[in-house]
Amino acid sequence: MKLGLVIDLDTCVGCHACAVACKQWNTSGTTGPLSDYDAYGKEPSGVWFNRVRHYEVDDFPNSKTINTPMSCMHCEDAACVTVCPTGASYKREEDGIVLVDQSKCMGCNLCAWACPYGARELDEEDGVMKKCTLCVDRIHDKNLPEAERQPACVMTCPSNARHFGDFDDPESNVSTLVRERGGYSMMPELGYEPTNKYLPPRQRPAAPTVERKAATSGESLIGKWMKRQKDAFNNLGKGAR
Amino acid sequence: MHPALSVIFFTVTAGAGYGLLFLLGLLRLLGLAPDISPDQLVAMGLIGLLLVTAGLLSSTLHLANPKNAWRAFTRFRTSWLSREAVFAVAFYPVALLWLACEWFTGNTAATVFFGILMALLAVVVLICTGMIYATLKTIRQWHTALTPVNFVLLGLFPGTLILSVMLAQQGLMFEPMARLVLVLLVIAALVKVIYFYWIGQPAGPTINTALGFTRATVRLLDVGHASDTFHNKEFGYQVDRIRIIWLRGVSIVLAFVLPLLLIGGLLGEVGFGMLLLAVISAYAGVFVERWLFFAEARHVVNLYHGMQRT
Amino acid sequence: MSVLPEFENHAEQTVKMTTCYMCACRCGIKVTMEGNEIRFIQGNPDHPVNKGVLCAKGNAGIMKQKSPAKLTQPLVRKAGTARGDGEFEPISWDKALGLLTERLRKIRATDPKRLAFFTGRDQMQALTGFWASQFGTINWAAHGGFCSVNMAAGGLYMTGQSFWEFGDPDWDHAKYFMLWGVAEDHASNPIKIGLEKLKRRGARFVAINPVRTGYQAIADEWIGIRPGTDGLLALSFAHVLLKNEQFDWEFLTRYTNATQLIIDAPGTSQHGLLLRDEAGELQVWNQTSDNVASWTESSHENDVEAALFGEYTTADGVRVKTVMTQLAEKYLSEDYAPEKVAATVGVDAETIERLALEMAHVAFQETITIDTPWTDWTGRHHEKFIGRPVAMHAMRGISAHSNGFQTCRAIHLLQVLLGAVDCPGSHLAKPPFPKHIAPPIKPARAMAPDTPLSSPPLGFPMGPEDLVVDANGEPLRIDKAYSWEAPIANHGMMHMVINNAVKGDPYPIDTLILFMANMSWNSSMNTAEVQDMLREKDEYGDYKLPFIVTSDAFHSEMVNFSDLVLPDTTYLERFDTISMLDRPISEPHAACDSIRQPVVELDRDVRPWQEVLIDIGTRLEFPALTNPDGGAKFKDYKDFITNWEKSPGIGFLAGWRGENGEESMVGAPNPDQWQAYQDNGCFFEHHLPPEQRYYRFANKDYLEWSKSVGFNAHSGPIVMELYSEVLQKFRLAGQGLYDGPQPVHEVDKQRLVQYFDPLPDWYVPLEEQRVDNEQYPFHAVNQRPMFMYHSWDSQNAWLRQIMAQNYLYMNRQRGVKMGIEDLAWVWVESHHGKIRCQVKLMEGCNPDTVWTWNAIGKQSGAWGLSEDAPESQKGFLMNHLISELLPAKDGERGLSNSDPVTGQAAWYDLKVNIYPAAAGETGSYPTFDAVKRLPDMADAPAVLRYHTHEPVNLERSLQDALSRGHLSSGDKR
Repeated sequence: MKLGLVIDLDTCVGCHACAVACKQWNTSGTTGPLSDYDAYGKEPSGVWFNRVRHYEVDDFPNSKTINTPMSCMHCEDAACVTVCPTGASYKREEDGIVLVDQSKCMGCNLCAWACPYGARELDEEDGVMKKCTLCVDRIHDKNLPEAERQPACVMTCPSNARHFGDFDDPESNVSTLVRERGGYSMMPELGYEPTNKYLPPRQRPAAPTVERKAATSGESLIGKWMKRQKDAFNNLGKGAR
Repeated sequence: MHPALSVIFFTVTAGAGYGLLFLLGLLRLLGLAPDISPDQLVAMGLIGLLLVTAGLLSSTLHLANPKNAWRAFTRFRTSWLSREAVFAVAFYPVALLWLACEWFTGNTAATVFFGILMALLAVVVLICTGMIYATLKTIRQWHTALTPVNFVLLGLFPGTLILSVMLAQQGLMFEPMARLVLVLLVIAALVKVIYFYWIGQPAGPTINTALGFTRATVRLLDVGHASDTFHNKEFGYQVDRIRIIWLRGVSIVLAFVLPLLLIGGLLGEVGFGMLLLAVISAYAGVFVERWLFFAEARHVVNLYHGMQRT
Repeated sequence: MSVLPEFENHAEQTVKMTTCYMCACRCGIKVTMEGNEIRFIQGNPDHPVNKGVLCAKGNAGIMKQKSPAKLTQPLVRKAGTARGDGEFEPISWDKALGLLTERLRKIRATDPKRLAFFTGRDQMQALTGFWASQFGTINWAAHGGFCSVNMAAGGLYMTGQSFWEFGDPDWDHAKYFMLWGVAEDHASNPIKIGLEKLKRRGARFVAINPVRTGYQAIADEWIGIRPGTDGLLALSFAHVLLKNEQFDWEFLTRYTNATQLIIDAPGTSQHGLLLRDEAGELQVWNQTSDNVASWTESSHENDVEAALFGEYTTADGVRVKTVMTQLAEKYLSEDYAPEKVAATVGVDAETIERLALEMAHVAFQETITIDTPWTDWTGRHHEKFIGRPVAMHAMRGISAHSNGFQTCRAIHLLQVLLGAVDCPGSHLAKPPFPKHIAPPIKPARAMAPDTPLSSPPLGFPMGPEDLVVDANGEPLRIDKAYSWEAPIANHGMMHMVINNAVKGDPYPIDTLILFMANMSWNSSMNTAEVQDMLREKDEYGDYKLPFIVTSDAFHSEMVNFSDLVLPDTTYLERFDTISMLDRPISEPHAACDSIRQPVVELDRDVRPWQEVLIDIGTRLEFPALTNPDGGAKFKDYKDFITNWEKSPGIGFLAGWRGENGEESMVGAPNPDQWQAYQDNGCFFEHHLPPEQRYYRFANKDYLEWSKSVGFNAHSGPIVMELYSEVLQKFRLAGQGLYDGPQPVHEVDKQRLVQYFDPLPDWYVPLEEQRVDNEQYPFHAVNQRPMFMYHSWDSQNAWLRQIMAQNYLYMNRQRGVKMGIEDLAWVWVESHHGKIRCQVKLMEGCNPDTVWTWNAIGKQSGAWGLSEDAPESQKGFLMNHLISELLPAKDGERGLSNSDPVTGQAAWYDLKVNIYPAAAGETGSYPTFDAVKRLPDMADAPAVLRYHTHEPVNLERSLQDALSRGHLSSGDKR
């Protein structure tokens, strides 16, 4: 099994619901609490596993605003795991989830240095590294209704821009989406083979228009319509206009 | 990257210590220092170990959860940091045994064995330290073979310099040591200059590849957090270009130019005092060099925070 | 798979459903509790509104509950301290309510209008309106006057349904969706859900908005329009449609007043009114008989061929022309040609024409059908529903301009021309809408001591005789709603209350009660001066606004200016109703309502405002709340909701009525109704049968049902009024021709003539008309970020980590040209004031527009934040630049900065100038003294470590740590 997320940049409106849902679930989750520093003060900050950033591609007036939620990509070749000296960071063999065993981390930050995606954040209060668990404590919890065995971010996403599934199964929702929509990896050149994929904005062809009529003056149009209205009336209910 | 003083002090000081011990062992093994008494040798060895220890202790200061530091020995198979830890710790008994042999037995087979092992380990630790940085593909300024070479050379050069000062103080081996120091200085300086040139070349990921939009300009609109996060604090360190160039100059002058002038006799008669000045200058220069090593490193996460290229 | 630990102790958890209140969206939520702590708030998957999803705000509910700004006890301003100084002392509920009741009792017994009761972002207007009516004051309204009234009124007076939250695009069938001026507006989650559905189905999404953020980000096409010109763009689309003969002839004939006849008798009281026969029946021109006939008859009889076009003279010699003729003449004019309007709207002519023709293509060449037979109101049988799958939605960007009412009508006009109203694929009404034009409720005017009003304070004027003015034509309401200055101010004009009351214009009042309305900060225009007004005293040293009562759950800026503070609960601590008598949560194909129930136990001395209202009302012996013997009719709020009936069988909640809960919509009170809601996830849904789902304005079955459940007064058709006779009556009054009340003041006359065009119209927004546009070249607008939209507590510890400072955004190229750099501090000046703020340059912004995130800026010390919080030091309000009055003209009384038709606050009309601040000038300006802490307020924690249980770590075995090699070297996974 290779569990991960597909994020649809065509429908993500940048609402941050996924980020806050993640915060909410995980602050009482397996690696919680997720500390918040200076929560009501000058520099409010804290530990988040999922952050949404907003970009603009191209220049006005052709610019397109892109919202990108980013969390752990659960890389196939996870450099964060390779560099971890204590064995706290590991990739689960069963499902490919990259986790940090909170009891083993010494807080050296090297995994965060190795991660290109900013997925790991040190909890300064606990002195250990924390990161997206893909809600391992939801997706494998048999006591939750089956429909809810999904990461909190996926369940909450109002614009259905987040999809969770098994990339090893070619027929899974995520594999299908990636195949059909040209799902891609961020910063693939580093070679970490991120599991999470992003769907690019859909490219739409120009919309058809009705044929433009030759210019007639307003008055003559109304005159024409007056002449036509008897026929038009007789055609009522036959889809005339 | 945020230049953490604890890590800078660690790599510079312990590096010099390893360099010192490596050279001390080498001199001994090659029989190039017949005049050094066991007392002198052990004293110099212990000073080297002191440097190493000070550095290593400092390195634990940047750990957020040092009580788990012992676990750093477990991931030897993949982690260069783990390897560094294992070799750094293994270095102690070997170095102490070598010194003991030198002290108690003089030049025996065991002395030679531990001497070789100690010298080897000293270089290996330096290489490991360099590899920790060199394997990070996220930081192109580090992801190069120049990094471990640099770490080894900037351990050997100041280590040798310190050793030469100690020897000079004892009135030993002044001339050959000075020549050796100059050779190492020139090589290390050359490598560093090549490094500076190399990181100046545009390469690596850009904001476009980071996001997958490669056909047009991409600009950050909103970073999505109100204050600095862990990532900004860790990776967001930025120094302006002018200051970098200025500091590069400072580091090269202090680390290489001034010691060259001092040791090369261009500033007056070379003696212990000049050498000591050279040590202080070189140490400060390497310290600045190491600060720059971090400060100039641009992590790819910054691309997501709006940087156009690393 | 390895055995995982039990991460959650489910046995220790309880799950309760309730309704979110982090904004006006009202999503169903499922709350998992551990003891009295919230483990998790998620969307209720069965809920009609959000279908399981939840936004950022909803997900941050825990931090609302944990806010250090929560009020903990009733407070009274300390004797001898000045209002606004923030010196309070605790008072018991008994004393607080006693004190308030005594004051109110005197007001009620003498002059009830001396109580003004205004509410902010509440969703209980049916209750507060009921309370005000029972009290007997007409001075009641909610915040709609600065929010949505242009949308509500624009739609209700034209199509009988509205944008805002009264309808939804048909997300399942629309092929073309045009979104006008919408930020994260009503509604939040449903729009997101819908947009994704649209995009998945391959529908086209065009966004018209000066700023490309939020929903516009994912639009297929973004039209960066110049603010305030949407109406002109819509009418130019109409021009292109007419010019290319793209309009739905049948739809116009059958369902609108397009065939009705406008009397052409200039200079008379009949001019512009619609021709009626003696019985008052509206007339059409019968082509067959070449004579008039009744519209009703023409609809029924196939031998009456109603003319859509033409000018005629009746047998009585009255010259008439059809509505459609007048309409076509108006919009075919070259004034609306794309080439003519392009420069004004900031969109090139080619694009305007193309978009109109794209919509026409979808409407007429990509028509869809739903094969469900249905019957129209005449009894005519239809085999299927025909759908013109062009949907639109519009909101704030239209609403908050002084031409918003007419602009909203212009957008509805487009829908009607395309035949795209309540048909498959178009904009669909949500029950109880559509309603007849307009609903037969007139705003109350008469008041008497100790007597309830005979009709609700807010209603739907149908002509000058319905205005709430005295015999001299002067306003009767404190906010001057329904006066000549704002005749159709159907949501009241909350933004004028403090200003008017302090000036004593039209009269002074005694007590102002505010609920969830931050009127001394972000909910007022001209914030700084409003604070001064609240402090203003008369010559005797008494406050001009003598007594201010605020109910809020948090330490807001308004709390600071109150004399009595009645602390409310959070939404998770109370019972509440989201009623169909109010702003229901219905879906297009289901009539819905819902409740809240407490999920967290109260831990402080606060009471739900609902409960307090019933309590005060009972103490004041409101007839509806007390028995003739003076005893309480209802023991509490829950009891009131269960047993009170608006009319027989109709109460606040429509589900599980009847003694045993077997009846829906109408039925006797059910003592177990609350429990039934709780058992059903806290909501009720009545699904419309398939034949009632579309064309409801003319759908016999639906209309009959809607009457039977009290939505509509009769089951006759809802005829869309392209031409508004109501507006024409006001215009006649302005011209001095109306057969009834007429305005006295010249300015009122002139405004009625100018802005009350019975056909949708466009005019330059009022502020823009009056300021020097070279001096103030930029439009300044604002929006709230999605993660804070409509939430009045952005001190939320999680949400403020996303944003704690707002910037002034502007077009990059424009900024560069002006020498303004990214993150530069600038001065922004309007005709009214100036502020200093920090600029961010961006691409997706109309070059003539600057904008910011609204209500991020806070007064220092408020909302439980530290005094140096960025919200107060770097954040800013645009409100300081906006005057509640239009720029003055000589010899004219001060006119409110509002839509001249509806009184909607025109806070998007703002024009400004920008220039760089001098070196060293940083930080936001103006700044205010820090708000003092309240007595017994807890310290805000420096570090938050919220969790409900000790984490169960997923441990990796040491053996695994020691034995695994490199991931990519063979043994990964």
